[in-house]
Amino acid sequence: MIFQPDLITGVISFIFTLLIFSYLIGDNPLFRIAVYIFVGVSAGYVAAIALWQVIVPRLAYPLVFGSMNEKIFAAIPLLGSLFILLKVSSRMAGVARMTMAFLVGTGAAVIVAGAVMGTLIPQVGATINFFDLNAAVAVGISKGEAFGNGLVVLFGAIFSLVYFHFGASPKADGSMRRFGLIEIAAWVGRIFIGITLGAIFAGVYAAALTALIERIASIINFFSNLFGNF
Amino acid sequence: MADSIKCPVCGENNPAGQEFCQYCQSRLQPITGSLKSPDAPIRPGQAPTKKNTAELEPVLPQWLRDARDSSRNNEDEDVPQSSQKTGKTRPAAPAEDLLAGLQSQSSDGDEDEMPDWLASITGTAPTPKKNQAESSEARRVELGDKNDFAQEETSDEDTPSWLAGLTENKAQANEKDELTDWFRNADDFKPAEQPAKTPPADDTPDWLRRMATADEDTGKAQPPSFEASANDFPPPAPETPDWLRGIEDKAQSVDSAVFAESTAGESEAFDPLSSGELPAWLNDQAENAAKRAQDTTPKWLKNEEAGMPATGELPAWLSSSEDTVPLPPVSQKNADALGDLPDWLKASAPQTSIFEQPEETPAAEVEPAEASFDSPDWLNAFKDAETFASDEPAPALEKDIPFDAPPAFAGDSQASATDNLFTEMPDWLSSAMELPASSSPTPITNADAIAPGELPSWVQAMRPVDAPLPSPFSSFSSDQTLESRGALAGLQGVLPAAPGFTPTSKPKAYSIRLQATDEQQAHAALLEQILAAETAPVPIASYSSLILRASRGLRWFLFFVIFAAVTFGLSVGAPIFSMPLGVPREIGGALNVARSIPENAPVLVAMDYEASRVGEMEVAAAPFFDQMILLKHPRLTFISTNETGSVLTERFISGPLAGHNYENRITYLNLGYLPGGQLGIRAFSLNPRAASPLDMSLQPAWASAPLEGVATLSQFAALVLVTDSADAARVWIEQTESTRGEIPVVVISSAQAAPMIQPYFDSQQINGVVAGLYGGAVFEQNNAGRPGVARNYWDAYSLGMLLAMSLALGGGLWNLALGLRDRASAREAK
Repeated sequence: MIFQPDLITGVISFIFTLLIFSYLIGDNPLFRIAVYIFVGVSAGYVAAIALWQVIVPRLAYPLVFGSMNEKIFAAIPLLGSLFILLKVSSRMAGVARMTMAFLVGTGAAVIVAGAVMGTLIPQVGATINFFDLNAAVAVGISKGEAFGNGLVVLFGAIFSLVYFHFGASPKADGSMRRFGLIEIAAWVGRIFIGITLGAIFAGVYAAALTALIERIASIINFFSNLFGNF
Repeated sequence: MADSIKCPVCGENNPAGQEFCQYCQSRLQPITGSLKSPDAPIRPGQAPTKKNTAELEPVLPQWLRDARDSSRNNEDEDVPQSSQKTGKTRPAAPAEDLLAGLQSQSSDGDEDEMPDWLASITGTAPTPKKNQAESSEARRVELGDKNDFAQEETSDEDTPSWLAGLTENKAQANEKDELTDWFRNADDFKPAEQPAKTPPADDTPDWLRRMATADEDTGKAQPPSFEASANDFPPPAPETPDWLRGIEDKAQSVDSAVFAESTAGESEAFDPLSSGELPAWLNDQAENAAKRAQDTTPKWLKNEEAGMPATGELPAWLSSSEDTVPLPPVSQKNADALGDLPDWLKASAPQTSIFEQPEETPAAEVEPAEASFDSPDWLNAFKDAETFASDEPAPALEKDIPFDAPPAFAGDSQASATDNLFTEMPDWLSSAMELPASSSPTPITNADAIAPGELPSWVQAMRPVDAPLPSPFSSFSSDQTLESRGALAGLQGVLPAAPGFTPTSKPKAYSIRLQATDEQQAHAALLEQILAAETAPVPIASYSSLILRASRGLRWFLFFVIFAAVTFGLSVGAPIFSMPLGVPREIGGALNVARSIPENAPVLVAMDYEASRVGEMEVAAAPFFDQMILLKHPRLTFISTNETGSVLTERFISGPLAGHNYENRITYLNLGYLPGGQLGIRAFSLNPRAASPLDMSLQPAWASAPLEGVATLSQFAALVLVTDSADAARVWIEQTESTRGEIPVVVISSAQAAPMIQPYFDSQQINGVVAGLYGGAVFEQNNAGRPGVARNYWDAYSLGMLLAMSLALGGGLWNLALGLRDRASAREAK
């Protein structure tokens, strides 16, 4: 019997697949062993990637072989990293605030600007453009379909937002109920939200089913290859 | 300096530098003898020296002993009274002080009536009334500028520490040398025929020695002009005792030449042990003088013992303890009277009075000699100040004193000893105590004399030595704690600790009860109920042991059903379900992009998905890349914001795309991991070269073939996002919105992220979406019939989806049936 690398990897994959499937009987040591190994391997791999693809080429190399400007630009993140490392000490944790403030502030600025310019405004514009029938016809969509899509998107957005309006006023019997029109709109919005969550669940199920199919296919291939070699 | 000086007495003009008026013989130069004499003012840092002279009391004259006794009796009374009067601290003289009685006596009487000679002895400050009565003009002529002395005091006060140390050394040197050498060189010159020189003290600094040597040279070059005048002095008066005459001869010879340069203590010429080195005539003179000093009482002292007031006959120099007192011209008669003074009394008198040889060399002539010194400027400044002090003219009386001419071979040390003899304690008194009475009289020398550098007694009396002022804080509080912080730092006892101190007022009681309205309390109670309900365990009837066992069985049932269906779908060789026929718009857009990019165009691919989604993502992405590579042979550049993206890229290249034989750095390039998350993506979109300069193998990325001609993000032909997360797709879309330009964007996503990515396609921010296995299957359908993995998975996927829909529908119906049954039961129960 010749042990080929594909055979070894196939055996390991099969074993770990069974360990994960053991979760069907509940949380058990076999499942935990598999999870711990995955977590450890992933952490080690991430550390190696961070060392060889981040620290060495982006920090150590410019500091050693770079020009003066590169050294200066590399020294700044190095100093920030050292400050963050000081968070291990409760007394020196305050030193990292400057670096953390810079990271959080810069990150917030980038995120907010990107969300506004890349999602919020384009999505609002797209919702409005659903009623641009000529534009819809230009891309091959009939006016009726375009108008219907527009209405669904419009009411779906409105009703979904109304659903999250929880303002209520007390009634004569002491119960707290929302305004009638808002209550109806919230009920319609709940339908839209349900459909959306259903679609997402279907996608999650489809993704999980595809993963299951791939795993079963790999087991089948392993066994077929294994027995085929015999 | 003015060319002439106007005589304040006769008003005639005299040449500059002239010490006495040519017409009336009045003094023109100020008297500053005390500044250079041993009575010089105390220097900062110089400690006063105690003198224990009580043992010499038996040899005191009777009148001095009487004065001492009276002072002891009145000591306790007079001192506080005098202190209150003058407002100054006047410490009582020590009991053992020889001159204590004089001080007390002076303090008892009115200071205005105190004899001047007694004031000079006891150190009592001279009455300022006398100076104030003088005209300012005369003061200027005699004393120089008023501010000169004030400046000198100020300079002493402002002397820095380092200079104070130097001053101390100078004071120490004065103890040995009596005066600093250069201090005398300003106005004194040695005779050229001076036979012996006392070697400088070992402690004398080199610069002082050099200055002394230069002084000697100057003295040799300029022989004193007053030597001849000194020789012309008339013979001594007949009243002058022989012993005094002999000593005076020595003193005159020395004073006329130069002030001593060597210390009295180290002077070998005056050392009694080394007296054998002296010439014979000098030893004889000294011995005879000592005998006479003990055997013979001066005439004036006899008068004192007889009760005659001595003040009327005292010379004016005795009353001038300071140089601020101008000396009137003294006649020949007064000079004769001074001849009766014993040596020890002369020593108590200021040296610069009548016993100082008049200086005939003007100061202007001395200055060139001083300029030849290489002393630094700061030293010259001090030297100038002391030159002013040493330039004091000798009293006019000295001219009239019929002293003998000094011997030409008198040494400097001898002259120095003579100075000490005139300014300090009488040596014969010290010798009398040290030697037995029956011993032979010891020649008067200054070997045991107190060093002239020591403080005068009146200066010592002004310095608090033994009885410092009590601390003012000690009388107020016994707390000696020194505040070390706060505004009261450095103060002592200002905030005395008061143990046991308790406030007298009772603190006001404040209610800690929450002031809330009934409505607020009701809301708080409601919130409390909600929180309690969240944390309270709620038994679920459906999860009873029977139901739980049934649920576990249901889970096993579902697993086996799905597992069997999938296995069946994968195991069946023949297709069960047909591939999807239609092409959705989002997939159609992706197809257009794959087909519309230029040939061999650079395409940027972001591989942002987890390893657990490899099965789905590779199935969804493989058809797209297969078709694009097959049609356009693009140069692919992979980058990932996920740590595992780089290795998943290699797996993808070597797996589903292995048939295209893409090679690293030739047809594709793996830039690896892009750190920073959204910030990294933003940086890469702005400047790809700077954000990711190296590839996965740490080689320069942007010089490789896949990135040839690409410098910015907009220069790529297309942007393909392969991600299993809607957030990753959103971030890439958002951060590249303003930098990617018009390049097409295709998102290959997982099926779970497709619903969240679809709006970006509807808003035309992206050009196509390929989601999950379904999207891959559609792409394979439109990939020229090339076989793919999607087809292998399609039957199992279709069975699994069908089974899932059936179970979901069956479960919904089952729940509906259970609900209807419960409602019916409830209705029946009602």
